[in-house]
Amino acid sequence: MINKNKKNNYGLIFIVFTIFIPFIVKDQYQLRVINMVLLYSIIALSVNLIVGFSGQLDFGRSAFVGLGGYWYAIMMLHFHLPFIIAFISASLFCAFVGFGLGMVCRRSSFDYLTLMTVGFNIMCMQVFLNWIPVTNGALGLRLIPSATLFGFSFDTNFKFFYFALFLLIICYIVIKRITKSKIGRAFEAIRDDPIAASYSGIDVANFKVINFSIASFFTGIAGAAIASYVNFISPFASSLDESIYLLQMAILGGLGSLPGSILGAVILVIAPEISRTFYEYRLMFVGFLMVVMMLWVPNGILGKNGIGERVIGIKKLYSDKKNKQKRDNGKRTLLKSKNVFSSKKENNGSGGKKK
Amino acid sequence: MFLQYLINGLSIGSVYALIAIGFNMVYGILNLLNFAHGDTYTVGCFVIFALVAMKLNIFLAIMCGILVGYILNTLVERFAYRSVRFSGRITPTISAVGIAYVMRNVVLRIWGPETYPFDMGIRGAQVKFGNFVLGTLQIYIFIIAIVLMLLITFILKRSKIGQSVTAISQSIPISALMGVPVNRTISTVYGVGGALGVIGGFLFCIYYESIFLGIGFMLGTMKAWMSSIIGGIGSLKGAIIGALTLGLMESFTGGYISSQYRDSFVWGFIVIFILIRPKGLFPSAISEKV
Repeated sequence: MINKNKKNNYGLIFIVFTIFIPFIVKDQYQLRVINMVLLYSIIALSVNLIVGFSGQLDFGRSAFVGLGGYWYAIMMLHFHLPFIIAFISASLFCAFVGFGLGMVCRRSSFDYLTLMTVGFNIMCMQVFLNWIPVTNGALGLRLIPSATLFGFSFDTNFKFFYFALFLLIICYIVIKRITKSKIGRAFEAIRDDPIAASYSGIDVANFKVINFSIASFFTGIAGAAIASYVNFISPFASSLDESIYLLQMAILGGLGSLPGSILGAVILVIAPEISRTFYEYRLMFVGFLMVVMMLWVPNGILGKNGIGERVIGIKKLYSDKKNKQKRDNGKRTLLKSKNVFSSKKENNGSGGKKK
Repeated sequence: MFLQYLINGLSIGSVYALIAIGFNMVYGILNLLNFAHGDTYTVGCFVIFALVAMKLNIFLAIMCGILVGYILNTLVERFAYRSVRFSGRITPTISAVGIAYVMRNVVLRIWGPETYPFDMGIRGAQVKFGNFVLGTLQIYIFIIAIVLMLLITFILKRSKIGQSVTAISQSIPISALMGVPVNRTISTVYGVGGALGVIGGFLFCIYYESIFLGIGFMLGTMKAWMSSIIGGIGSLKGAIIGALTLGLMESFTGGYISSQYRDSFVWGFIVIFILIRPKGLFPSAISEKV
């Protein structure tokens, strides 16, 4: 219990610290990058929900980013709906499409599921590219209205930061609760061993559908938020490369670790912005990272037995050694005394028998 | 028109078949899909292209390309597969995707995203039968694919290494206990797969008379993957028939349904196919979880 409270305190301190970020960071460009980090963190969390928690390799996440964004843009531009309705309907639409995708691949797994998600991604991108009257083809949709809540417009970077932060915290808490609930446990059971899970009463196929719907809901939220923030959406935001990049965010941070996903998003969104050369080499870097991490730390930085735990583990080992020595010394004296005691007793006992 | 679509479909299908053979052979042995297949042969084809541009003899250049494919794929096996062979199915897939991205971006850095004309002096003649056109090159490609398939089937059935490959595809620990050099055999299979991929990719480039980055992933790995799933994983006959089916599907949907949404429809068909018959048309003898 004490540990748990401590963790919560750390989280609170972290949130309080992040609230003051816009006051510290005055540069608009940097603030923009930070906003993108917040939004991509939500996507990374949703990727983690599928790949990290449920163990289904999904290469089609960016399709949902595009779906959410396009739905939001079309609702705002063509139908002039209020923001909140367009925003929530975008995520619900994504959840619905995710439900459909889940229904299609509910019975398949491994490569088959991956192939289906790849196919879904390619289909979505082709529809975005070719359905010109609605999606405006390769040029994308421009002048998408910004987020407005109760007459308050989140049009500047400063204002949007709080919107994104609020969104991220809500999504984080909800996803955290989901992973701690019965459903989340079922996801982890499916990841670890689908056959054993099915024998312990978990309906693997249906939980896969649930998993896809929930994750798509969050991806859709983030996609709509990105569209509202950038005021622009193009079909190339939902390419297969983008999906791999999103996947790498979850992998780098640590599959199965929620703070890890945020860390992965932080690294992989900020790094390409630091230098132009890195931006050009980003996919090569991501590929290299994927290989190296799969070889040595398949669970990422903050995942189970990941880099973080190993660093802490080395420290712990060192301190454990010290403690162990101390404890051993203590034990030795105790043992000695015990031995003395027991030998005396034995002597006494034997002496008694002899008598 | 129907006959022309049929012929187009079969000819593009035979090109896919050549790529799918190498892919499916590797897919069958460990049941791990080789995401780097397309990018390996892209590197090989670009090497051939560069060597021919340097006025090297074309056969020597092709040999060099095949060698590069062999070495690259053994390296891929060594670094992306061997260490993670027993850690589930997600980990090797991710590492293979990673190595594919590294290779693709190296090619992108060296040759750029442009499309180059691929002129090797090999050009098929066009034969006209009344209304429809038949290229001789496509017939050659089809024959090469069939010959390679028969050759590989023969090697797998008759030779010692072929027998060890079959043994490994059934059970790695037991074949290791029987004295089969597991690592060396798997590495050889990957190498041969890469070499076959380079041959396929080379003919692919000749067929389209151009070379560009996209031949690797979208036109290579994906099509090979689709055709091996249609045909059945690990079955060479299945790979060829799956590739021909895929080619026919593409040609007919492009002709009769919609050329804009051709890929979407083809992917849709593949998804429906997986739902109906996940093991493919010619499933391998060992049952596999879907």
